[in-house]
Amino acid sequence: MATFSTPSKRSFLTLPFLFPPSCESVTLQARRHQCSYRRAKQRLRVRPDASFGASSTHSHEQIIHNPPSSAPPVHHTPTKFLPPDDIRRTLRGASVDHGNSAQLPSVFKTSAEKRYHLNPSDIEEIRKLRLSDPMSWSRWKLAKRFDCSPMFIAMVCEAAPQKKEIQKQVLEAVQSRWGAKRRMAREDRLLRKESWGRDE
Amino acid sequence: MKRLQLQRWSRSVLSPRARTGGRLQEHLYYSLRRQSTVSTALQAENEQLIEEKSLDPSTRLTKSSKYEYLLPSPPVGAARKSAKLAALHARLYLPSRLPLETLARSLVDASADPHPNFNNESLATLGHDLLSHYTSEHLICKYPRLPITVIFAAMYAYVGPKTLAAMAKEWGVEMAVVPGGEVDPGLLQFKRVLPGTDLDAEPVTGTGRPNEHRTSWRKSMTSRIIYDNEFGDPVKVSAGASAPATVPGSQNTQGVTAEQASATFVRAVMGAIYLHAGRPAAKRFFEQHFLSRHLNISDLFNFSQPARDLSRLCAREGFEPPVAKIISETGRKSRHPVFVVGIFSGQDKLGEGAGASLLEARSRAAVASLKGWYLYSPLNVRVPSSMEEEGAAPWKPVYVDLGEVIV
Repeated sequence: MATFSTPSKRSFLTLPFLFPPSCESVTLQARRHQCSYRRAKQRLRVRPDASFGASSTHSHEQIIHNPPSSAPPVHHTPTKFLPPDDIRRTLRGASVDHGNSAQLPSVFKTSAEKRYHLNPSDIEEIRKLRLSDPMSWSRWKLAKRFDCSPMFIAMVCEAAPQKKEIQKQVLEAVQSRWGAKRRMAREDRLLRKESWGRDE
Repeated sequence: MKRLQLQRWSRSVLSPRARTGGRLQEHLYYSLRRQSTVSTALQAENEQLIEEKSLDPSTRLTKSSKYEYLLPSPPVGAARKSAKLAALHARLYLPSRLPLETLARSLVDASADPHPNFNNESLATLGHDLLSHYTSEHLICKYPRLPITVIFAAMYAYVGPKTLAAMAKEWGVEMAVVPGGEVDPGLLQFKRVLPGTDLDAEPVTGTGRPNEHRTSWRKSMTSRIIYDNEFGDPVKVSAGASAPATVPGSQNTQGVTAEQASATFVRAVMGAIYLHAGRPAAKRFFEQHFLSRHLNISDLFNFSQPARDLSRLCAREGFEPPVAKIISETGRKSRHPVFVVGIFSGQDKLGEGAGASLLEARSRAAVASLKGWYLYSPLNVRVPSSMEEEGAAPWKPVYVDLGEVIV
């Protein structure tokens, strides 16, 4: 209500949405039949968004740029990706607002900081353990013991062939219990995942 | 009283020799063929017989119309009489220095007339080189960071055979059913492949690539730049032009597809414009007919692991490692949540994506950031061939990128 300063041609009584909610409910109860064309039209007449600018202060012509919220176009190169001699770097320099990117929550709970704390001897031990007893030393257990990610275990060593064979049989046994619906849902999920990379 | 047509009724009984209307029918048949487009297998067979008896090219200039049937392609003099040819010339707004005779020659495929002086093979070779040159320099100067697979796909989309065939169709070029000397020279003339022929039956051999017989071996992108053509497809090496291919009837006995013939025609038109009207006219024709076709390059990308690629890119360029952060979200516990995730490198936002799960939004944001990197386009791009114009400004070197991210 604070910004309502423009002189309106209509009286306040014809703009029920400008009243506070309690007021409006009173008016609504007073009027039992809202279904005339004039009243419906009146109720649809909402105040323009603040981004359209106050018409009283800017009486001169202006360009109103109010795009719908959407992802920025891909042809708009981020300033960081511009080569150092590109003129757009200096042109955009003033308007860049770093905003609150530091306060935004991260997608992942853990920090992505890499530590590089394993020696070649540790890696040798990982390989030895995984080859010697593949059933007990799984990727997860090794990752927990050496304080690294299971991805890293997969990068440095490979499972023994018999372990792979067993895992394959386990997977087949699980998949054989799937019905048509579950199988199709799984396949659809894979297809959807592939479409992320094509930006569809 | 209506006349009874006994002759027609009894035709099935009569032997071919007893037909009285044979000569008339023949005449009708030839006039039909001259205007083209309808055909039966019988007509095609007749033409094959005529073509086999085709004469030496020295008899081409004879004015007598009965020799027209013996020629493999229309005589040069017929170009001035063809309404289709004049209409095509006017429709394409071709320069007046390009004569109708050359346009007629560009419509004759090598499979129709094997003689190199009368078919469009040489023009098409020149036009093909010009088209590849202009398109590749446009792509590389406008988008200097494009990965090589995307460049291949974009080249195929701009000047690939499918596009050229579609253009020939849009230009209103019709195809003769069977080539011949009496056919209207305004029709595209080529010998068709037999129906039912499998075009991709055997893989291309003789590409000059080492270990070609190892079909299971991986073909790297770098080797495709060196050994393959501008679309990244394997191409047969032309044997160093050892066979000059001047012997008529020795090659192209199996015919070509309509798509190949149309593409060759469009390339030949480009070559003909270059030869007759010069470089500026060829460049203008290229810009008006090829570059004006809209191609959304951002649709040609397909990333399998965008987040990994992006982190490799940031490590290579010395940026801070990318971090995915939630910009906004709605309905996290509902059936249709929407997450908007931005990828930040330090303080700068690289890209933004929305998705139904955090992983999807992050993946889409990584794709958007990678596209933002690869689709960088410098301002005021000039291509090297613009230096050929009169009074061109001194050349400033274009932006050359390090290359795509290799993981």
